[in-house]
Amino acid sequence: MRKLPFQTILIANRGEIAVRIIKTLRGLGLRSAVVYHDADAGTPAVAMADTAIAISGRTPIAAYLDIPQIIAAAHKASADALHPGYGFLSENAEFARAVTKAGIAFIGPTPESIELMGDKIRARNFVQRNGFAVAPSIEEDDPATFTFRARTVGVPLLVKPSAGGGGKGMRIVRDLANLEDAIAQARSEAQRYFGDGRLYVERYVENPRHIEVQVLGDSFGNVVHLFERECSVQRRFQKVIEEAPSPALSPELRRRVCEAAAGIARAAKYQNAGTVEFIYGGGEFYFLEMNTRLQVEHSVTEMITGIDLVAQQIYVAAGRELGFSQSDIVSKGHAIEARLYAEAPERGYVPTTGKVLVLEYPDGDGIRIDSGVVQGQQITTAFDPMLAKIIVHSPTRNEAALKAHRAIGELVLLGCETNAHFLTRILRDEAFLSGHVHTGYLEENPHIASGEAASDLSAFLATAALLTRPVRESADAVPELHAALGSWRN
Amino acid sequence: MQRIASAADVKSHDFCLNELHNKRLAAELKERQRAARFNRPERDLERLRRQNKLFVRDRIEALLDPETPFLELSTLAANKAYDGEVPGAAQVVGIGIVSGREVIVHADDASVKGGAWYPLSVKKIVRALDIAIENRLPVVHLCDCAGGFLPLQAEFFADRYYAGRIFRNQSILSKMGVPQVAIAMGHCTAGGAYVPALSDYNIIVEGTGAIFLGGPPVVKAATGETVSVEELGGAHMHTSVSGTSDYFAHSEMHAIAIARDIVARFNRVTKASINRVAPEPPAYDASELYGILPRDPRVQFDMREIIARLVDGSRFHEYQPRYGESLVCGFARLYGYQIGLIANNGALLSDSALKGAHFIQLCDKNRTPLLFLQNITGFMVGREYERRGITKDGAKLIMAVSGASVPKFTVICNRSHGAGTFAMAGRAFDPRFMFSWPQSQISAMGAEQAAGVLTHVKARQLARAGGRLSEQDLAAIREPIVEEYRERSSAYYATSEIWDDGILDPVDTRNALAIVLSASLNTPIERPRYGVFRL
Amino acid sequence: MKHSFEVDGVDYQLSLSRCQQGYRLRLCNKVIAPVALSQQAEGCGVLTIAGESEPVRFAIDGEVIHVHIRGRTRILHYRDPLRTLACANNEADHLLTRAPMPGLVVTTSVSPGQSVSAGTALMKIESMKLETIIRSSRDGVIDRIHFNEGESFERGAVLVTLSDEGR
Repeated sequence: MRKLPFQTILIANRGEIAVRIIKTLRGLGLRSAVVYHDADAGTPAVAMADTAIAISGRTPIAAYLDIPQIIAAAHKASADALHPGYGFLSENAEFARAVTKAGIAFIGPTPESIELMGDKIRARNFVQRNGFAVAPSIEEDDPATFTFRARTVGVPLLVKPSAGGGGKGMRIVRDLANLEDAIAQARSEAQRYFGDGRLYVERYVENPRHIEVQVLGDSFGNVVHLFERECSVQRRFQKVIEEAPSPALSPELRRRVCEAAAGIARAAKYQNAGTVEFIYGGGEFYFLEMNTRLQVEHSVTEMITGIDLVAQQIYVAAGRELGFSQSDIVSKGHAIEARLYAEAPERGYVPTTGKVLVLEYPDGDGIRIDSGVVQGQQITTAFDPMLAKIIVHSPTRNEAALKAHRAIGELVLLGCETNAHFLTRILRDEAFLSGHVHTGYLEENPHIASGEAASDLSAFLATAALLTRPVRESADAVPELHAALGSWRN
Repeated sequence: MQRIASAADVKSHDFCLNELHNKRLAAELKERQRAARFNRPERDLERLRRQNKLFVRDRIEALLDPETPFLELSTLAANKAYDGEVPGAAQVVGIGIVSGREVIVHADDASVKGGAWYPLSVKKIVRALDIAIENRLPVVHLCDCAGGFLPLQAEFFADRYYAGRIFRNQSILSKMGVPQVAIAMGHCTAGGAYVPALSDYNIIVEGTGAIFLGGPPVVKAATGETVSVEELGGAHMHTSVSGTSDYFAHSEMHAIAIARDIVARFNRVTKASINRVAPEPPAYDASELYGILPRDPRVQFDMREIIARLVDGSRFHEYQPRYGESLVCGFARLYGYQIGLIANNGALLSDSALKGAHFIQLCDKNRTPLLFLQNITGFMVGREYERRGITKDGAKLIMAVSGASVPKFTVICNRSHGAGTFAMAGRAFDPRFMFSWPQSQISAMGAEQAAGVLTHVKARQLARAGGRLSEQDLAAIREPIVEEYRERSSAYYATSEIWDDGILDPVDTRNALAIVLSASLNTPIERPRYGVFRL
Repeated sequence: MKHSFEVDGVDYQLSLSRCQQGYRLRLCNKVIAPVALSQQAEGCGVLTIAGESEPVRFAIDGEVIHVHIRGRTRILHYRDPLRTLACANNEADHLLTRAPMPGLVVTTSVSPGQSVSAGTALMKIESMKLETIIRSSRDGVIDRIHFNEGESFERGAVLVTLSDEGR
């Protein structure tokens, strides 16, 4: 195969995705460079990259959003291409343009595609114009009448920022009396996170399932899909468990949704990797939005198709034609990904912090760990609470769930509370195992988050007591005779 | 060592009747102890709650290490005094484990007369501190005392073993290097103020604890000065201004935690080393003691049956089994510690006294602590016995008992009369600890015998006046004498007066002895040294 | 005095004493014996509890003990009685407003010297994607604000101190 036109690729990201990208770069014989904020100095990506360049900002997040600094870093590293990862600047058209203008290849769609599909309102209009189904909605073209018009959508409804994603700033409204508050709060958060306070309101589908389709396009107009993923197990619009294929779809529905996704991408002349998200409920699906980047959960698609999506992104960015056609892509077995978060589902998912004192990942056939943390690292609230992804691949869904359950049980992370046990509770839950989940599943089953009401702590208390010096010493200090007499009284 | 083969027939009618009787006595003891510990007027308990104070028993439980024993001493002190209104003499004393150390716990019981000191309270505290001195046991004082009960001051203030002795003993302990910790949990007034002041360490509880020689009313009366408790002797003042207290505690529990931390720092003393092996439970069940002790105290029983239910494996190495048989002597083990046993199987005769004196010297030489099991009506009297030197031989036994350097322990199992009381290490002979069983009697003479003598004396007085007494008249004189004599020779009277360190349920004896035996070994055992034996 | 461990905000009292084959553990009214922990390597051990053995992983961080047994991780805080009891009755503690979760200060709505009543919004904090209003739990005067806007804090950090002045 012809040599790639790149030598060094700068990763404008952090955490597990930076590590994930470095792994592919190593496989392709490319040099990796990362930017990092001081708060990330001890993370594995910084240790693994061939070059690591420090960046700074008012907050750690701000550093990773600082376009001039990142481009300067790319030059400093002599990078000829840049991978934005997910989040941060990955769906920022201005950034994509600035990178290209700096003479560096942007590994992602064109700025035009980002602008078209990255803006929820424009994307919806575009998809609707091209004959695909979308849900009823109102957009904020006129703030003065927005609240009034929003009421016409009817409850339940969803208030969302026009920019951004990842659940930030979203509010469900079930009672119109709360609408104005919800809009005000969503606007404040949208302004802070995305610098864009515009909102839109759409009808909220009860018990919807979140199904998304991975697409890949090249600069020759070829577009393929890599089947769907289901990401219905969510808490506060944050995905917790993703899988492929979706247990909800019949072969016919699968064909229809995947072809619709490919059709939308084709209509948008989409290049590189992207994800078309759909809401599926009551036997129907309709377009939700398109993510013009690599997704967190891309790994489940890689597991069932055997295709390295990051490598494909680099090939496309290098101007290569896709090396396969739709019919070459085969889905095999079942993959499940569980996200390990630094949070306490038992206490309303509050984020947790701490130093990772012990970290041991499970291994075995069909188990893949994409981790962004190492032992000794301090977990802070400076960034997203995701620590790692545990991805498993098995012939069937049940076997995959069992394998994931076992793998998470074997995972040892001490020093920072995580959601590991919560993940295992989902993986052995009846509703999950029978495939009956929807995006409100965790809210409807609060016992999964809260955990067992009265679990037996004896073994833990015994261990702690035996490990605590004052406790052990006070037991040992008692003379043998008196210890033998116990709490005798006359 | 040979195991004692019990001859007791646990199925016999006699055994069952004894058992019934003695179990009833044990139940009565437990009930009296429970009442002395917990029966309080509701208004007193309510006052404690209002003052945010813990009940004395809860304070002690919090102080002790969990899952460790507490041997309470003189629980029924003052049970026959002050119309029964001062249970326990308003004091709780015992041996317990605090931060792994054996300590004496001494606590004022503020739920009884506000913790005021009565004559027997003073006696109980002095005895507690004597125990601390003799056995070198650190002391934790939980102070909450309203002061001395003034109407009875003549009985507790001025004499040698009265209140001053408490402070003298505290000073002696400090001089010996045996540390004391006091917690001022309530007012420590007048003499009570010196208990924390003379302790090497003291803690004062914010809000409730106060230390002063005279409380606000006394100050007002004496100088006209109006001052609050807090200003006069509160926790802030004493820890930051006067330096009378060392540690400031936010609550009683906090104070207890500080006290535990202080005790944890105490140096560990090396115990006197005596012959010891791994412990073994007795082969016979202690509960059989109930069936062995005769329901009629006048009935003789074999003390080996008692020994078999106290000592390790019921094993007993008897010394001189064929000589002086009315005194059983021999070696056994209690929780692994070798002890020498001296037990009565009848009145003391010349040969048994000589045997006892010899055995005591043996034990003293090989550092074996002595346990006296009393069931003694006295030395044999009569011309023949006097001619054979019963008094001379009794003096040898008393000389040996007094002079022994090893720790001595005494249990009155049944009767303790006359010179037998002395020769068997009675209270006056400083056994480290002394306990009684519920049915036991202690007096100069047995009740019937004494009543006979007293009735005879009275009848002679009347006869001199010319009267002549019918059998009925004699009975009328005799009855009240017997009654009063019985009452004053009972174990309950003895323990009320603190002639012992408490009444034990017989089944608790083994554990109680183990605790005091261990405690006694904190003091080094001196070399044997005796006075002149009359040979 | 018993020992106390806090797990998920709940205090558990226990006592440990020696017994023939190890230790005896008393929890509330349950006694487990024998219990023993043999350490294989740093942070690795085998816990034997009433005759059954299972591997445990652990990490000790000061008075915090992280324990992993059979797929489950628990964080146990040893509550030193001296420190715990010194604070328990400390009235000043009632004047402190503590962070319910780690996060950073978005805005501060009050300033030192200002009188507030129970329920007054003191600051808006953000923890990941959640904004939370921190309210005063009592009446008082703002004494000190411990974090500036944009600063981050850990769970349990004192955010605002009130004083009783002027009341």
